[in-house]
Amino acid sequence: MAKAPKNDNPQNYPALGRWMMWVDKPGSVKKMTWVLGIFCVLTILGNLTYSNKGHYSAENILGFYAFYGFVAFTLIIFVAKALRTLIMRPEDYYGKKSIDTEEWPEAELVRKDHNDD
Amino acid sequence: MMIDPFPPAFIFFIGAGLLLCMPKGNLRALIGIIVPIITALVIWELPNGIGSELEFAGLALEMMRVDKLSVIFGLVFCLAAFLGNLYAWHVKDTIQQVAALGYAGSAIGAVFAGDFITLFIYWEGTAIASVFLIWARRTEGAFYTGMRYLVIQIASGVILLAGVVLLYRETGSITFEKMELGTLATWLIFLSFGIKCAFPLLHNWLQDSYPAATITGTVILSAFTTKLAVYALARGFPGTELLIYIGAVMTVFPVFLAEIENDLRRVLAYSLNNQLGFMVVGVGIGTEMSLNGTASHAFAHILYKALLFMSVGAVLFRTGTSKASELGGLYRTMPLTAIFCLVGAASISAFPLFSGFVTKSLILDASAENHYMIVWGMLVFASAGVLSHSGIKIPFFTFFAHDSGKRPAEAPTHMLWAMGITAALCILVGVFPEPLYALLPYKVDYHAYTTYHVVGQLQLLLFALLAFVFLMRTGIHPPEVRAINLDTDVLYRRFLPTLITRLGNIISGVWMLGTWFAKGKADKFVKTLHNSHGPEGRMARVWPTGAMVLWIAIILSATLIVNFI
Repeated sequence: MAKAPKNDNPQNYPALGRWMMWVDKPGSVKKMTWVLGIFCVLTILGNLTYSNKGHYSAENILGFYAFYGFVAFTLIIFVAKALRTLIMRPEDYYGKKSIDTEEWPEAELVRKDHNDD
Repeated sequence: MMIDPFPPAFIFFIGAGLLLCMPKGNLRALIGIIVPIITALVIWELPNGIGSELEFAGLALEMMRVDKLSVIFGLVFCLAAFLGNLYAWHVKDTIQQVAALGYAGSAIGAVFAGDFITLFIYWEGTAIASVFLIWARRTEGAFYTGMRYLVIQIASGVILLAGVVLLYRETGSITFEKMELGTLATWLIFLSFGIKCAFPLLHNWLQDSYPAATITGTVILSAFTTKLAVYALARGFPGTELLIYIGAVMTVFPVFLAEIENDLRRVLAYSLNNQLGFMVVGVGIGTEMSLNGTASHAFAHILYKALLFMSVGAVLFRTGTSKASELGGLYRTMPLTAIFCLVGAASISAFPLFSGFVTKSLILDASAENHYMIVWGMLVFASAGVLSHSGIKIPFFTFFAHDSGKRPAEAPTHMLWAMGITAALCILVGVFPEPLYALLPYKVDYHAYTTYHVVGQLQLLLFALLAFVFLMRTGIHPPEVRAINLDTDVLYRRFLPTLITRLGNIISGVWMLGTWFAKGKADKFVKTLHNSHGPEGRMARVWPTGAMVLWIAIILSATLIVNFI
């Protein structure tokens, strides 16, 4: 967590930002997860309102897309993690001929801290 | 029908010339956004047909071929140029401003090209103009990256030209129309389009170069080159079955690489690759529905991809980094940028009511209707993959996740406007797809918002989201770390140079050994000769001076005789 700057004061954040800080309140993640869960159940219920609309028979199984989505996402994460052990390299792997270790040229940026206003 | 319209691309070139005459400041930025508006109006009024014919070296060039396919690409390119230049309002760098106009103009010229020579000229035009958006970063790394980009882009053009020459010899025509793969000529043209379209294994120039461009440069780059290639494929190779499989692979493989990439602009470049895959599948299927899908998806994609690059760019503009490992929790002080990014993320993930949903479904349904079950399965898999890297990773690790302690100020007003308009368009297209459908090359008889579609898509996305929550809470989801990942570019950036250096070392070693050996022998021979015939040599002792005079006389007389004969 935070290495927030010393002059940081949430009261100075934009109103929208303050309002969005709800997501970091204790218990909010739990609430959001519940809402997500409820929506997931709703989509399964919605699935009951029609039948045999898909092009393939598998599509007509209740919750086919739910299963596919969950499994596909999990598989992607596991394969990606395994891939990391194979192809991950330090940032300076390509040396000077790459942008990966370069600092951004300041002329391109207008760095501005919110609390500096 | 013969028409003679003013080629819209020239409006961009005139604009670029005009811009050079202006003093640096808002007037220049204004030209950057007025030119696309005027051009869009011109394109809107263009009558269908072929026009602006030009005689060049005995060949009839058709500078303008206007039909619905070229018009929709022309219009979306104007829109992208408008939004990109609005986003870049603060840029005072002449090179970037001129390059942006020249680049967009070349891309627009290319989509209206009726023949291959005109296409080739604009094709190379996009390559040359766009590289300045990378070099404009003005660092050593950007210079080398730009060089790699330029070499590959120019190579694509040269291969195109080679194909066109062969095609002309075979058919006697340079008209750019539908082709069948089979001859060397068509394969070369196909390969050239494939390089620009970032086909698997030819893709890496994209992930290498886009993160290297300037903040605004990447937004502009993301719109044109690859979509021009998609247009060229749709024009030249619709219904080529090979494209279905190429496209399907394109949708799947970048998903894994995007997931573990740390630089968010490179994540977006991988995601761009994945989205192109959907369009390529649409071209490959080649039915009216699938080609409509390709054109509409290109339109929607240009918008939401630009929006995502804009939001990450805004963060970079304020913090100096676009690396996921360095960011997090920025929603506090950049809430509008965060919301626009979420709109882009929802659009690319194809949530109902957002643009990706109404366009991607066309391609997915076309693949299912034409019984490409495995391809369809891959596309659905890739749709869950899009959610993982573009839908979740980009907004989550930038604006939410752990608090990085950074408190950057909100993006400047012009950037907020550019992002706001783009976000509004993403939602408008999603909610009211009909105006976009009306622009498509073929008549659309399709309803994206059926219960089946909406529920199926929501199931896929929400359960994938559930998987994300599960993997985060169990700590299985990989953390963001400062590192890079190898891709095919390792071949020409590490292996090939290493191989050449090693080969060079071996050759020079053998050479040195050989010369050392020969030199040793020669030295020894000379030394021996010196010992025996030198001034102090044993043989020299018996040499009378007269012998020398005699020999000179013999040589002289031999020369005289040879001369006189």
